[in-house]
Amino acid sequence: MIDAQSLTRRYGEFTAVDGISFTVDEGEIVGMLGPNGAGKTTTLRMITGFLPPTDGHLTVGGRDLFSDPVAARREVGYLPENVALYPEMRVAEYLRYRAMLEGLPRAKARPRISETVKSCFLEEVENQIIGTLSKGYRQRVGLAAAILHHPSVLVLDEPTVGLDPKQIIAIRELIRELGHKQTLLLSSHILPEVELLCDRVIIIDRGRIVAEGSPRDLQDSWVGNTILRVELKDDPGEAPEVLAAIPGVVGIVSGDTGCYRLECSTNTDPRQSVFEAAKERDWVLLELAHEQASLEDIFVRLTTQEPVPSSGRGELGDASQEEVPS
Amino acid sequence: MKGILSVMGRELRAFFFSPLAYIVAALLLVVNGLVFWLIVSYLNDPRAGFGAPLELFFGQTLYFWLVLLFVAPVLTMRLLSEERRSGTIEVLMTAPVTEGQVVVGKYFAALLFYCFLWLPTVAYPALLARYGEVDWGPVLAGYLGVLGIGALFLSVGLLASSLTKSQLVAAILTFAMLIPLFTFGLLENLFSGAPIRELLSYLNLWQHMEELGKGIVDTRHLVYYLSATVLFVFLSARALESRKWR
Repeated sequence: MIDAQSLTRRYGEFTAVDGISFTVDEGEIVGMLGPNGAGKTTTLRMITGFLPPTDGHLTVGGRDLFSDPVAARREVGYLPENVALYPEMRVAEYLRYRAMLEGLPRAKARPRISETVKSCFLEEVENQIIGTLSKGYRQRVGLAAAILHHPSVLVLDEPTVGLDPKQIIAIRELIRELGHKQTLLLSSHILPEVELLCDRVIIIDRGRIVAEGSPRDLQDSWVGNTILRVELKDDPGEAPEVLAAIPGVVGIVSGDTGCYRLECSTNTDPRQSVFEAAKERDWVLLELAHEQASLEDIFVRLTTQEPVPSSGRGELGDASQEEVPS
Repeated sequence: MKGILSVMGRELRAFFFSPLAYIVAALLLVVNGLVFWLIVSYLNDPRAGFGAPLELFFGQTLYFWLVLLFVAPVLTMRLLSEERRSGTIEVLMTAPVTEGQVVVGKYFAALLFYCFLWLPTVAYPALLARYGEVDWGPVLAGYLGVLGIGALFLSVGLLASSLTKSQLVAAILTFAMLIPLFTFGLLENLFSGAPIRELLSYLNLWQHMEELGKGIVDTRHLVYYLSATVLFVFLSARALESRKWR
């Protein structure tokens, strides 16, 4: 659905997006992750046809954005980062305007609008002036306008930013529902959100893709050794030596007043050994748990590295074997 | 076409919902009404010369021009700069419409609203027709001038609005461009050399209105308004497009 080849965008001297390539297949929900200024919004703006790329190739829904921009834009529904609406218009009026702008025939627009209003839970505010709506409602109006013409690709830039937790849940539910029907590309800097919603994650930093894959894949390939958290009552003095001697434990990452974090080699589970060692010595085991490295750890690790020379990923892989910043 | 119409429709609605538009409408009516009353009472004086009231009404008082120089920036300052400031431009320019359609739609919305502002003044000739004879030819020619010069001024405002995110800057810029556009022609009499004098005379809007008020329609002048208008609208579309290359 989206096919981007060595997409580049420069603002004068500054390169915001530096030759990134990726594809999004039909029906996929892909999340784009990255710290602020990584080039997420610029990438999305190119996909939606708001900014042309300085270099590279881009097709959306089979249409080339450069040679056939108007047709390509028809394929895309877009919710920009700071949902900008006309404050003096009423919700239904705004949707009618957008339907016309997208070229929907009047007869088709009417049922489509009422259907969209319903699916975005906007019935109660349909006749309200947009300027008086809360941020959550405004977000939903923006979303409704984006999906109104049934685009084949839906692009959402930070769809939950600035919402309260309840609104975030509502919007996420809506997005998940839409994801069943449409190809969806969303950007976010909130990691659990991407983990929750997306089939695939693209992590970008300084205009380059630093990692790509399903949340599960990323975890497996970037986490390295697992961490086991052990808490013992009254901190027995001999604990560090005993724990370090347990098979499968590579080392102790940190330990203070009875709380130890053990680094274990992958594919081993020394929890039973730890329990037995504790039982033998009559230690009171307060906690014994795997620390799941979240996407957050991977993200922080990937995006806090020094800029790497061109080939990128292989070298990053090596570097990631170092200590996990916690 | 549909793109132009949808942009124009929204823009027109925005005009009618904004208080500023009503302030402008009120001002225009007050000033025009006052001028009309002054002209009629002046011509009522037996010592005054002869003249048709509406001939004087169209462009022969400073008020006519002051109002026009004020109305054009106010009507146009919002058109594109507000879309850019609020960010709605992003949604607009990712819809399947071209920059040209957006600019033309917005321009025609402003022009239609401008015509709406002048509509009530049709009451003046109608009023005169009740008490005397009105020569409708010159009246129509006068309105043609109001339309032509208004169209030109509004296109200048549109261009200014496409250049900045700030409505205030757009309004000031429009004013700054309209002042030379309006005054250059007035300098006509300062020059004796033929080519310069002729050029300035061609640009002398006051002179044009005087002729139109008498019913003389010189197509050269209309061509001037039209071509300059098209140029400014075209430049606005280009300016809107330029965001892509920065």
